Amino acid sequence: MPRARRGRRAQVNVRLETLGTSTLVVAAGRLDFAAAADFQAQLEALLAGAAAAPGAVIVDCAALDYVSSAGLRVFLLGARAAQRAGRSFAVCALTPAVADVFALSGFGKVIAVHADRAAALAHAAPRPA
Amino acid sequence: MSERRISVAAEAAQLPALTRFLQEFCAAAALPAADALAFELALEEVFMNVVMHGAPQGRAPRVEVSLALGADGLALTVEDDGPAFDPLSLPPPDVAAGLEQRPVGGLGVHLVRRLMDAVHYHRAGDRNRLRLVKQSAR
Repeated sequence: MPRARRGRRAQVNVRLETLGTSTLVVAAGRLDFAAAADFQAQLEALLAGAAAAPGAVIVDCAALDYVSSAGLRVFLLGARAAQRAGRSFAVCALTPAVADVFALSGFGKVIAVHADRAAALAHAAPRPA
Repeated sequence: MSERRISVAAEAAQLPALTRFLQEFCAAAALPAADALAFELALEEVFMNVVMHGAPQGRAPRVEVSLALGADGLALTVEDDGPAFDPLSLPPPDVAAGLEQRPVGGLGVHLVRRLMDAVHYHRAGDRNRLRLVKQSAR
């Protein structure tokens, strides 16, 4: 029997990048129930503490090929935590399957969705003085 | 290979095995990736519902999952011997609520309804049976 394409990717890998004042959370893999708690902990750690950078938080989803309701919950909690911390929160570069799940959930109404990283960064950039 | 079956305990740790079972079936059936992902999501949501709500006495129900490829598309049937519970009876979530008012639960069943063509619940004896069907986009 052919090996399933995503069978070995059983978790989300997260890498953080800082661009200017923005923090990019580059998420890759499957954000299912099994991976949700770990992803939530990483987002919370990023958003916690006064020492955290004050800039935008952008989750780059270009390599995220699956999100279930357990994963949506983490995005929702992350967006709320960012709002309370006075930081903007956005996602970008959704794969078609993840974009579908966002659309069906109405999440595009409460979380900013950008086509790609450049668009998200442009939106997050501080207004010229 | 047009029908396959797997039986697991309703425990979160069994989710990867179920997902693998589904992925292997979809790959062998050459199902389009978008359809396979829709079924992966439906299976996770339905199974985790049983895990979360199906064991009030501390005993994890048995869950039997079957996949059958037929003229009406792929049918996913999930049966469990837990207490009677129709997930389709849950009220739909408010997908228009604002960020702070938005409930964090209840989205799973909503997604399943939207991603599948047909979803039916039936209590058969001491078992819950949920049957999900989606016509392939092929």
